Formats: sequence, structure tokens, C-alpha cells
Amino acid sequence: MPESALDGVKVLDLTHHVAGPYCTKLLADFGADVVKIERPLTGDPARRMAPFYHDEPDLEKSLLFAYLNTSKQSVTLNLKSEDGRGILLQLAHEADILVENFSPRVMPSLGLSYQQLEKANPELVAVSISNFGQSGPYRDFLATDLIEYALGGLSYIFGSNDRAPLKHALRQAQFKAGTNAASAALIGLYARNGGGEGQHIDVSIQECMASCLRDTTSLYTYTGAIRRRQPAFSGDIPRSPTKTRDGYIVPVSFGDEDWEASAELLQAPELLQPQFATPELRRQNASELDEVTRAAFERQDSSDLFRSAHERRGFIYGVVHSPQDLVESPQYQARSYFVDIEHPAMGAVKSPGAPFAMSGTPWSARSPAPTLGQHNREILCDRLGYPAAQLPRMRASGVI
Amino acid sequence: MTLPLSGVRITEMGQLIAIPHAIKLLSDMGAEVVRIESCGRLENYRASSFYENSVDGAFWNRCANFYEQNRNKLGVTLDLSLPAGRQVLGDLVAVSDVFAENFTPRVVRNFRLTYEDLRKIRPDIIMVSSTGYGQTGPWAELGAIGYATEAASGLAYMTGYEDGPPVVPEIPYADYVAAEHTVFAIMAALTHRARTGKGQRIDVSQTETVSSTIPEALLDYTVNGRVQPRRGNADSTMAPHGNYRCSGRDKWIAIAVATDAQWRSLCAVLNQPAWAEDARFADTLSRWRHSRDLDAFVDDATRPWDHIKLMHALQAKGVPAGAVLNGKELLADAHLRDRGFFETMAHHSSTQMPPLPYPSRPWRFSKTPGVARTPAPTMGEHNRLVLSGMLGRTEREIESLEQDGVIGYAPVRHSAPSVVSLEAQKSLGRILDYDADFRQGVLP
Repeated sequence: MPESALDGVKVLDLTHHVAGPYCTKLLADFGADVVKIERPLTGDPARRMAPFYHDEPDLEKSLLFAYLNTSKQSVTLNLKSEDGRGILLQLAHEADILVENFSPRVMPSLGLSYQQLEKANPELVAVSISNFGQSGPYRDFLATDLIEYALGGLSYIFGSNDRAPLKHALRQAQFKAGTNAASAALIGLYARNGGGEGQHIDVSIQECMASCLRDTTSLYTYTGAIRRRQPAFSGDIPRSPTKTRDGYIVPVSFGDEDWEASAELLQAPELLQPQFATPELRRQNASELDEVTRAAFERQDSSDLFRSAHERRGFIYGVVHSPQDLVESPQYQARSYFVDIEHPAMGAVKSPGAPFAMSGTPWSARSPAPTLGQHNREILCDRLGYPAAQLPRMRASGVI
Repeated sequence: MTLPLSGVRITEMGQLIAIPHAIKLLSDMGAEVVRIESCGRLENYRASSFYENSVDGAFWNRCANFYEQNRNKLGVTLDLSLPAGRQVLGDLVAVSDVFAENFTPRVVRNFRLTYEDLRKIRPDIIMVSSTGYGQTGPWAELGAIGYATEAASGLAYMTGYEDGPPVVPEIPYADYVAAEHTVFAIMAALTHRARTGKGQRIDVSQTETVSSTIPEALLDYTVNGRVQPRRGNADSTMAPHGNYRCSGRDKWIAIAVATDAQWRSLCAVLNQPAWAEDARFADTLSRWRHSRDLDAFVDDATRPWDHIKLMHALQAKGVPAGAVLNGKELLADAHLRDRGFFETMAHHSSTQMPPLPYPSRPWRFSKTPGVARTPAPTMGEHNRLVLSGMLGRTEREIESLEQDGVIGYAPVRHSAPSVVSLEAQKSLGRILDYDADFRQGVLP
């Protein structure tokens, strides 16, 4: 088995739902030893999130949970019990990184504030992910992905300017926070291994969104202008997904000088009519231009147009893929993006694989997502030295 | 305490966002970054989004996007088509821990910058390449930008109004997803190198990084054969769940109701006792079934409200809600201000730009906070500093590099790009509006 980038890194994982588990999944799949703490009996709420394997709701059949928790070990622990908290502090004592994504009041209320964790292990890199961070007037606001898109500034510039602002499908804000938290954890660890101290890292999902808006705030500070969602007719070749004969294409080109080349690429001599001759005229006749352009796109097949665009200078067209297109994509197949992960309750599941490739320390889902409490014995007895005879008592009293 | 990444040196040959944003996050945290650019081929972010929307003078040093992506970096210009330029780059690689680039593989081969080439110069180099579709496979050589990779990733297919085409946002979103994964990849490789002394090659397919963040949809297809439709802001269980109109031009509030208690609070805040009695909205499932009617009702009821006041009123009663903030409102947001999210950066005096606030970064370290130390470099600003200080070139050698055009301080050709006036942009609907007196408001 090839070596992994994070061999020997010990992570104590107090996360649930999506953002935190994606963070610790990245760490785990690149080699870290991740112990995931779950609530006894019910576990991580993501175990109850759709979609399910063959639509069978079951704690061990959530496909989202299965993806987010590969390569981890599961221990159930009631953090509200004195014994549970004691076990947790023992685990924190020997961990390099702790990640949690409770709302900011929870960890202190469990007697697990950063100050208390620091006492147990001054070398610990503790990462907290929350909707709005650990401080500030919105600290205790409730949020979902939709709210983060709104307060993070992405919705306002997403959609058509005559309709409601949009968000991406699914849970991009959560995944974004998970990715950033994983990076931050390793930056903190790198500093500590280089002779620094442990510390507390505060990741705010709102700030994760607001730090990836390119020049949206700078457009205001530079010119006083407020960027918004674009009008249907822009007076140019659209940059948004545009209907073709068999799908959608994203026609990205570079600047005004490509106009004749665009007409040639689209096999649309009507774009060369005098009313479209200059950028100024195209803006003036935007709605007529829009009609002509859309008709030209609808005469083309996506893959032909994609290929011929890439054979010319100045065009970087993109193709819209459905999930089915992706699974069938020669590019994804050539790179073996999808991998089969063998799961005890579901069998082989064709799953998204490496998010990027590392030549020396490849990505690997070393084990499927754990069943609830699967590793209680390994961690409590083998690692912490509790006698196996104590487990039934701990189970009966609801500690595990 | 010193910054976490002090002592790490990165040579960056980046453009636009995917690599520059990633390397900026590392330079914020203390890495020393030398950024290579070309005077012959001006990158797009040195030719767009100008201060005061003006292309007078050295416009290439007054571009918002360039400042956004490149703070805390040293800037060196190099003509890599000349052997002397490639020699300088080789010398930089020899003293670097990481080399990061986001050009197509053809460019990298032409300049003899493949991993095999670099390994001969620095055996333990970590080389990071970020491209649209990755370094292998039939699409390896294709160029791409964020709008194209977002489309190719599967994310765009499911995003959009329920009656319309796929939609992507106004900024190249996928480039950021790729950049954020690239930061993690570099940190994993640095962690590994610190332990073993070994470098390696990192291949980031921007498209694949985005696909890795939509597993629900991909697994629903591979396991259940189902493809999710586009459905605007609607959720698979919550209702109401959407952006609703408020008072003022293009003002909106996001509301997401998950529980009966939140629903009752929403009815109370919006002063709609009849809704709470309506059988169609009695529980989560029936609200979800009647979400279309519900959206219309909520949209009417929120209309008289100020979006920020309504957010506070709803949150005070435990209803998840957020004002839909535009760029100007983000800068003024009470919470972001309280946390010091925007950091003010002074600019080189030659630009005649005042200090301005920029978004900082997605994390806060308790003991070693990152910091915006220096603005993005003006063109060639650190040529001398790097060539003499880091590489030990003599004054005479540097002068000859200047005379031969290997290094420079301005674009070789620089016809000013055309700009559309703010007034024209407003009448076309490309911007909401513009404030003539914005300067006072944004000064720190």
C-alpha cells in the first residue's frame, strides 16, 4: 500500500451533518487517523439524510453519509455524561487536530471550550466551523445553505435580474466551509509541527462565501457600482448556459475582437449584419441579437460546437454535463474518477473518488463509512485501555 | 508568534483565480511567494475592472481583480520565450518548496516546466498544476475557465429556475472551489514532505473538485438512476424556502422554514394569523406540497418590510432568515464589520489609489492571524529585490536582463482596453446603480 500524505496525523472528529464531515473526510482519505464521535443510538443526523440506497431509509444507507465518512472510525459517546466527557478529553489529549461544527454555544456548554481543550492538550489544533463564526452580532443566527448564500453575497449576483436571486443546487456553502476548514487545520498543524503552539481556528461559513466573490465588493470600492444579476439580453454572446440542439453549452470567448470568428464558429452569417457591427450597436440591438444568437446555437450539437470552439483561438467553450453524462464521460473514465466502494450494508457503490491527484501519496477511501459505533471496542479498549468488561455497563448507562 | 507558513517559499506562475487565489491564501498565512508574469502577454486581470472605471495611464496597475488575488506576493516579470528568462525561473525553482501553475499543458511543455524538468533542478519540489479537466485523458489539453468547468462538473445542470436553463453565477465560482481544494492539496504535500523529505506532483482537475462537492446528486444517479431536476431555490423538504421581495429596488430576504415552531413564528412576525390556521400549511409535508401557494403569500407579506429589519425580527423569533446582500451592503454588514472581515490595504503611490478594504480569508487563527501586509505587486515591482536578494544577481546582470527585455516594468504592447461607462452599464441593466460619492463611504 502506498504511503499517505497524512499518515500519523490523529484527528478527533466531533462533526455532524455536512461541512465538518467533508473537512474530516478530506483529512481521512489522505491518510489521517480520524475518530468520529457520534451520539449513541441516533448518530450523526446525516445518517437520516436522503438520498438513500434504493430509497430505503436506514441509518446505514444514507448515500450522503456514506460519501462524507469514508476512512473514518465511529465511536458513540454521550458528551453530556461525565464519563463521556472524560473519554473525550482523553482522546483530545492524544489528538493533533480536533474539528467540530456545533453552533458556538454548544462546546462551552459541554465543558469543552477551547480553553478547556487547551488545558487537556496545549498542542491541539482545534477547528470550529459555524454559520457565522464564534463572535459577532449574528453569532447565534440560524442558517441553512440558502441563508449563507444571501448573507454571503452570492445570491444577489446569481440568476436573472428580473427574477429572484438564486443559489446553487445542493449544499455548496457547507462543502466550501469543509474544504477551507481542512486547509486551515493543516496550516495550523504545519505551524505547530514547526515549533509553534496549538491554537483555535474559527471558520465562518458566511466568510467562506464572502471571500470567493471576485471583485463584487471591489467594484463598489473602485467605482461605486453595484454588481447584480444580468439581464436576459446582454448585447453580446451569452456567457451563461445556452441551449443547443441536444443540450446546453457555455460560450466563453475573449472580448469584442472575436465577433467575426464567433459568427464563423456558429455558422451564423446573420451575426455580421450591419446592426451588429460594433459593440455599441450590439448593445443597442440587444434583444434582436439575442434572438439571432439563440437560433444559431440551437442549430448546433453541443459536442461538435465544443470541439470546433477549442480548435480556434480565443474560445473556451464549456459543455453542461448531467450526472449521467459525467458517469459516461470519456474524460472521467480515463481518469478513473468514479470508484467502487464496498459497503457492508449496500455492497459496491459507484462513488465520486479523488478530488485531485497526488503522485506520491494518492487519495484512497481506505474503508467505507463506519456503522454507528463500529469502533467502540478498538478505540475504548485497544487505544485507551478500558477493560472490555466495562463496555456493557457503559452501553447500559448510555455513555456509548 | 511567527506566521504559520513562514519559511515556505512558493514560485507561482498563475493567472486569473484558480492558482492565484489558492496561493494568496497561503501567502496571507506567511508563505513567501514569487509571482511570475509576462510583459508580452498581459493577463486578463491586469486589463479589466479598473479603478474609477478608467484606463488612463498605467491601467494594468489599477485592476480590482489583480489586487483581489495577489496580495502579499512579490512580483517578477519574465519573458519565458528567452533562454535567460527560463534560466531565472529555473533558479527560482531551485530555491522554492512549491511551484504552482495554471496554464495548459502545452504552455508548460513549451517553457520546459514539466515536473520531470523541475525535478532535475530541485528533486524535492512540490509541483501543482491546476487545469480545467486535469493532466490526463482526452480533454487534458483543453483550456477552460470557471463558467465552463462549473458546467462540466454536473453542478450547473441541477442549478437554475425550474422552468429555465442551467444557470451559473456572475463570477467564475468553480475556480474558487478548485483553489480551495488546491490549498488543501499543497498543505497535505507540505505535511508529507516535512515528514519524509519527498516532493511530488499534484494534478488538480478544476471540474473534478466541483464534482466532489455534489455527491448526493451523483450517488442518486449511480445507485438509484435518478437525476434531480432544476427547482430554483426550492428545497426537498423545507417550505417556505426561498428569496422573497422586500421594500426598495431589488431587495430580497432569504427565509428557510424547517419546523412547525419556525412556521408559527414566521406567521406571527409577518402578522398573518390566518396562515397558522390554514390546513394547507398545517405541517412540514403539507407546507411542502403547497409550497407554490405559500411562496406567493410570503412574497406578498414580506414586500413592505426592510430586508435587514425583517431578518432581525425573524431571527429574534428563531426563524432562519438572511437579507440578500449586494456588494455595497456586504461592505456595510454589521457582523462582517464586527469581525473585521474586510482588511484595508494601501496601494503603491504610483497608482494614486487610496487605501481600500478587501475581503480577507475564510478562517481566523487565534494565535497567528494571517494579515494583509502588502498589496499585489505593480508590474515588475520586485524584479530587483528578487533577482538580487534571492538569486544573487549583480547589478550589471540585472541591467542586461532589462536591456534584453527578459524583465520589464510595463506591458510590451498596451493599447488601452475599452470600457463601458457606468451610465451605459446601468441602462443596460448590467449594474443595479452607481454612487458618484462612493469614495467617502469606503475610506477607512
